[in-house]
Amino acid sequence: MDYQKKELPKKISTIGFALTIVGGLLIILSFIFHTERALYNYLIMFMFIASIGLGSLAFVAIEYMAGAIWSTPFRRIAEFLSAPIPLLLLLVIPIILGANTLYHWTNSNIAVNDPVLQGKSPYLNLNFFIIRIAIYIFIWILFYYLINRNSKLQDTNNDVKYTKNNIKLSVAFAPVFIITLTFAAIDLMMSLEPHWYSTIYGVYYFAGTLVAGIASFGLVTVFTLEGKFFDSRINNKHLHSVGILLFAFNIFWAYIAFSQYLLIWYANLPEENYWFLNRMNGSWVYLSLGMVFIHFIIPFLVLIPSYAKTNLRTLKVMSIWLLAAHYLDLYWLVMPTYDKSGIVFGWVELGFPVAAVGIIMLLFKLKSRNNNLMPVGDPKLEGGINLTLYPDLSID
Amino acid sequence: MFKNLKHKFQEIDKDLGIDPRSDKLYAVTALFDNPVKIVAAAEKVVSEGYTKFDVNTPYPIHGLSDTMKLKPTKLGSFVFVFGALGTLSALLMIGYMAGIDYKSIIGGKPFFALPPSLPITFELTVLFGGISTLGLMLFFFNKLPWINNPLMDTEYMKRVSTDRYGIMIQSDDEKFNINEVVKMFEGLGSVQISYVNYFETEEDKVKTPIFNGKFIALLISVFVIVSVVTYLSLNVMIYNVPFDWMWEQAKIKPQTSSTFFADGRGMRNPVPGTVARGHLPYLYKGMPDSSVKFTANPLPVTPEILEKGKSRFNTYCSPCHGYYGKGDSRLNGQFPNPPSLHSDKVRNWQDGNIFHVVMNGQNVMPSYAKQISSDDIWAIIHYIRALQRSQNAKDSDLEVK
Amino acid sequence: MSFDPTYTKELPLVSERASFPELDDVVFKPTESKPTRKWFFAIGISGTAALIGAICLGYTFYYGIGMWGNNVPVGWGFDITNFVFWIGIGHAGTLISAILYLFRQKWRTGIARFAEAMTIFAVMTAGIFPLIHVGRPWLAGYLFPYPNQNGVWVNFNSPLLWDVFAVSTYFVVSFLFWGLGLIPDLANLRSRTKSGIKKFFYTILSFGWRNSNRHWRHYERAYLILAGLSTPLVLSVHTIVSFDFAVAVLPGWHSTIFPPYFVAGAIFSGFGMVATVLIVVRKVFDMEHIITINHLDNMNKILLATGSMVGYAYAMEFFMAWYSGNPIEQFVFINRAFGPYAWAYWIMISCNVLFPQLFWFKKIRRKIPVVMTIVLLVNVGMWFERYVIIVTSLHRDFLPSSWGMYAPTMYDLGILLGSFGMFFTLVFLFIRVLPAISLTELKAVTFGAQPHHYTHNEIDNKN
Repeated sequence: MDYQKKELPKKISTIGFALTIVGGLLIILSFIFHTERALYNYLIMFMFIASIGLGSLAFVAIEYMAGAIWSTPFRRIAEFLSAPIPLLLLLVIPIILGANTLYHWTNSNIAVNDPVLQGKSPYLNLNFFIIRIAIYIFIWILFYYLINRNSKLQDTNNDVKYTKNNIKLSVAFAPVFIITLTFAAIDLMMSLEPHWYSTIYGVYYFAGTLVAGIASFGLVTVFTLEGKFFDSRINNKHLHSVGILLFAFNIFWAYIAFSQYLLIWYANLPEENYWFLNRMNGSWVYLSLGMVFIHFIIPFLVLIPSYAKTNLRTLKVMSIWLLAAHYLDLYWLVMPTYDKSGIVFGWVELGFPVAAVGIIMLLFKLKSRNNNLMPVGDPKLEGGINLTLYPDLSID
Repeated sequence: MFKNLKHKFQEIDKDLGIDPRSDKLYAVTALFDNPVKIVAAAEKVVSEGYTKFDVNTPYPIHGLSDTMKLKPTKLGSFVFVFGALGTLSALLMIGYMAGIDYKSIIGGKPFFALPPSLPITFELTVLFGGISTLGLMLFFFNKLPWINNPLMDTEYMKRVSTDRYGIMIQSDDEKFNINEVVKMFEGLGSVQISYVNYFETEEDKVKTPIFNGKFIALLISVFVIVSVVTYLSLNVMIYNVPFDWMWEQAKIKPQTSSTFFADGRGMRNPVPGTVARGHLPYLYKGMPDSSVKFTANPLPVTPEILEKGKSRFNTYCSPCHGYYGKGDSRLNGQFPNPPSLHSDKVRNWQDGNIFHVVMNGQNVMPSYAKQISSDDIWAIIHYIRALQRSQNAKDSDLEVK
Repeated sequence: MSFDPTYTKELPLVSERASFPELDDVVFKPTESKPTRKWFFAIGISGTAALIGAICLGYTFYYGIGMWGNNVPVGWGFDITNFVFWIGIGHAGTLISAILYLFRQKWRTGIARFAEAMTIFAVMTAGIFPLIHVGRPWLAGYLFPYPNQNGVWVNFNSPLLWDVFAVSTYFVVSFLFWGLGLIPDLANLRSRTKSGIKKFFYTILSFGWRNSNRHWRHYERAYLILAGLSTPLVLSVHTIVSFDFAVAVLPGWHSTIFPPYFVAGAIFSGFGMVATVLIVVRKVFDMEHIITINHLDNMNKILLATGSMVGYAYAMEFFMAWYSGNPIEQFVFINRAFGPYAWAYWIMISCNVLFPQLFWFKKIRRKIPVVMTIVLLVNVGMWFERYVIIVTSLHRDFLPSSWGMYAPTMYDLGILLGSFGMFFTLVFLFIRVLPAISLTELKAVTFGAQPHHYTHNEIDNKN
């Protein structure tokens, strides 16, 4: 194996730093001049960063659970992309501080006249809310730390027991993750509209997280592959599964989104349908319809042909596209609560995604320092490099 | 007799139907016992310039298509087209049937709505795609079925289905020379070389087999049988017992006769004293005006009630009283004309008095209690009041208040 | 390669390669030998059950749906419960055949053909129920949109119609996928059979397949495409079945999580049935070295995963019922757990959520008697899940004055028994008529089957 540990290019941290500073400045200005709108945007940014970090960690866990070989050479990419998870503890603070603005149920004046909110108050009260969020983030940080530590230790120790432990951790992580992610989505996003509820909401956010995770993983892996940071035997055919998973997870997201929409549309109950009606109101309708094309139809048609799944340029473009679509999805989920009448878009909205990308890049570079880009001690590594696909799903 | 049948059956069973062969050579075949050797053999055959050859293996061997210099299959693109055809068909079908031809309001939804049409659209896409995959693969790309290919019923075919890897070069290849071919196969390490001849009744060219006469005949007979069965079941069988039990029910339908009742009628009169809805019996029926307590009009004066009153008045009252209550109606001269409703007498009547006249009848006018419900009569009375005011308007009515 | 347990090592090996003629003989043995007494006994039982079902069906056709327990307010009872149950069972077959193929899980080869056949038989069994529950099943042709003398088209807004399209498509595509896999094996049987009648059928059904590599490349692509089409198809079919319930406004039915919940539940119950049947078949037909304990271990892991997903859905529904603040919705869930059908509810919870959690332990996953018990309980639990969803939501909904009770009649039970009888009869017939294991695929993945399994040294030494 001719992999050698190389530092990733410095420009990653330079660009990341620049984006964070520029984005951060815009964010601070937004909070000064448009506090409430900035808070909503901040929530969107937080959920976006969380979904990339958690999606990447979930990807690592899935690899361990399924015993997948193809992703082993690239697993470090996912591990580094999960670096934002500890930062979530800090990043959530503005949301907690701004909870009175974001969440109407924290306002006792409103709650006291509303019997429905009264009924929900054992769950929807600020103290329990804070405790829950803290629990979720602590659990995520715990698994992040343990799984990544085992993986790193294996580089020097080559001991199979790290893999076995990580498999056990991943298997334990799976149910815990899905429950904490579901309730995080319910607490942070669904409760923005406290009268509305949908049993599939957690799964919806989870599907988006999967798409964000595989898209960010795919994007960074393509960049590092082109930069020749891996073993020289690795080529674009190894990334065939990335294309397939991107395609499949996106279809899964569309399926969940459509299920939610069709059922609420069909029954047409006033207590449920106003959530979608708000998103068809005024100029929101253009975004809603646009999302069908942006988040589903175009990626579907582009990724159907089999050559698309091993073409590095297609993977790069579609990964960026789907990451943008995921941000748009979160925006569509959150923003109509702030302003029902139409799309809000201005300089305020720009700072947040810019800062998010910057933060993720910075943390990625930080974590990659003094770390191997390939898990050199992993027993599955050789198998992953020498991969012959059964069935050979690339073109003959 | 059964022993005879069993014997006959066993005879048919033993007859493997192997057709005799002609003397003409079809191909020379070679078997190998190792997937590596077959790939090497294929490489050699290609490099020697043979084109009419084939490799037969019990399962697909990786990399063999590249070695044989075969172009990648286009099946995917074709299936995509058929799938898209399925999508289009579904949307057009639903759009026409539900949106244009037979519109019904179901659950308050639009006649054609996209969300509920998507499940069927998806299914038809997959159906068209699935059927076209198999059909195109077998009939179009592989040009099967070719049941009497000379390779059938040979030892070669048997081994190549089990555990050997075979290569065959056809005798009509340009570079074919039987001795060279055999020498080449021996040099490649073949474990068995054999010669395959044509069947005696063999067509030289491979036609698209689904246009075979026998197959078309089979299709036609299937079509005929299915049509006859459908006709018999749907046009004959379901008009018989027990399938007709839903419409041959032991109950009396309106306006049918009946043997159960003495007068032979199915429909019975309501019991004496039955009251129809909206037609409570009038308390003061047949009584003179003096003993009647006139009731006030229970209905408010609203535009809807006036509209209703107008429509009922035009229906029931206008034949005699005319559209304006003047008594100059269409029955003018054929019936004694009623007095005008704009006389002082009527204008001074209470509403209940008019009600009493309508319910009771007066002189030539019969009682309308059976035709018009009480509510409607009160509405008519409001309208009559409106008419009366219209024919006796004062200047002060025009003043803006 | 410690992480690729080549299960094929357990096959009889001759000089590093599995002996293909031996494989042929083992796999084809049930089709080429006379039926054993065990087989007659098995099909006798299943045939009797099927007969009982047929008799009950006959009564139902003749006298009408009044023979069943359906009433107002419980308009759907055993009929739709059985329909959803059997469709769900079909899903595991497609998952094993198609989805595991796409995920490149080699261990599926030994069981794929069998599972796919079970899908087809399950779908056939399931398709009976929507037909018979309409009262005049001979008019079922009107379900399809063709120009008829009533001048009426079908109602495209109705999920019951979406079901018609979905189940029909599912049956056709599954059948084609299964048939595609059968073609090379039938060609093999055609070459080796000694019976003239069998040769005739095998020749026609194998379409003159001659193992040519020019054909294999189209074949492989067709297989991949059908697997790729079957995967979203299987998800869509049970999604559409879930729409039967979820588009209604009934509390307990109208819940957005129904589509993925039903799909997970279908895979769960399907694997339960596949595991049940495979445990029996591998013993009876001596295929323990092809359908190994590793296969069962992997299936149990999938059972654990999907059972947990079902448990998640239960928890979500319960939480949202409370969170909604809707007293009717809340009552439905309290009624499920503590009302007159609480016994069915707790059977469901224990069999679907509690017992499968034992599969966290590797020892239990590999102990056949325990596995058999748990998978049987999974089958029971999933049947009761559909029963609970349908009956408890219908029997007590909005207006207390409309509440009622439901009890099945012996005809309901007879038809349920008959459905099992029909399913198993078809399975037993299948085993004797067609090869239950996909021999071609099996050969392709044994060690030494592909050229790259050999190093250069080995190639030279072999000569």
